[in-house]
Amino acid sequence: MNKDVFMKKLAAGIKKLPKEEQKEILQDFAEHFSVGVAEGKTEGEVAAALGAPNQVAKELVATYHLEKVNHSSNAGDVFRAVWAVIGLGFFNLVIVLGPFIALVSLIASGWVIGGSFILSPLVVLVNVVLYPETLLLFDVFVSIALTGLGILIIIGMYYVTRYMFKAFMKYLHFNVKMVKGGLNNE
Amino acid sequence: MNVQFKKGALELCVLALLDKQDHYGYELANKISKRIAISEGSVYPLLRRLAKEEYFTTYLQESKEGPSRKYYCLTDKGRDYLHQLIHEWVQFTSGVNKLLQESDHIE
Repeated sequence: MNKDVFMKKLAAGIKKLPKEEQKEILQDFAEHFSVGVAEGKTEGEVAAALGAPNQVAKELVATYHLEKVNHSSNAGDVFRAVWAVIGLGFFNLVIVLGPFIALVSLIASGWVIGGSFILSPLVVLVNVVLYPETLLLFDVFVSIALTGLGILIIIGMYYVTRYMFKAFMKYLHFNVKMVKGGLNNE
Repeated sequence: MNVQFKKGALELCVLALLDKQDHYGYELANKISKRIAISEGSVYPLLRRLAKEEYFTTYLQESKEGPSRKYYCLTDKGRDYLHQLIHEWVQFTSGVNKLLQESDHIE
């Protein structure tokens, strides 16, 4: 593979990164090639030592998103980081996506339970409007108690969500390190 | 040798090389890949990450042959981090060596 082919494949792999980022990366690799050639190597030898360009691109993309997620709590950034890590190989589809889906559904169900507890007096209210003769004080008190419980659950979920988010970011970082290790086995 | 070891050590190697003097990317990739079998391309994602974490700064310098080169220069923050890594590395390797000696695998 010569320089042009390598650079084209690399550029294609990182085309979703910001323009500035792409420019810097391509400059770094162009410099790497020109130094290598100046030292008497062929473009093919330099390219071979660098490794597969699409794999290098995937690592760069994953590194970029993970670095961004470090400074951001934006859900979109997290999802992009997850996808970038998954892009590093099928192996990770199972290890990353599995726990991610499990975690997200657990957290979502916590919020739904908390929310529905809080809204439970509404159900009593609707019931009273539809069937006024069935009003029971017991229902009213239970639903008020549930509202209190729901508020506690929601407060708890807020902290759980924040904690889980951080823990999952750590897990992603660990994963990228592991995948990077595995890449050079070839 | 297990790849996990090599990869984990890559960060340490890059920082250790920069502790002595500033290097440009090709030099770093080349020096490291001479000693440990890694693909040179994987040095660059690492360099970008460490630069973003402010472990080193970069500057461009003209060279006699070819275009100007991007040099990496270790910051104080990077130096602190390096010392922490070296400490961990020494503890880890000496622990492993002791265990190997006890089980008579090496003299």
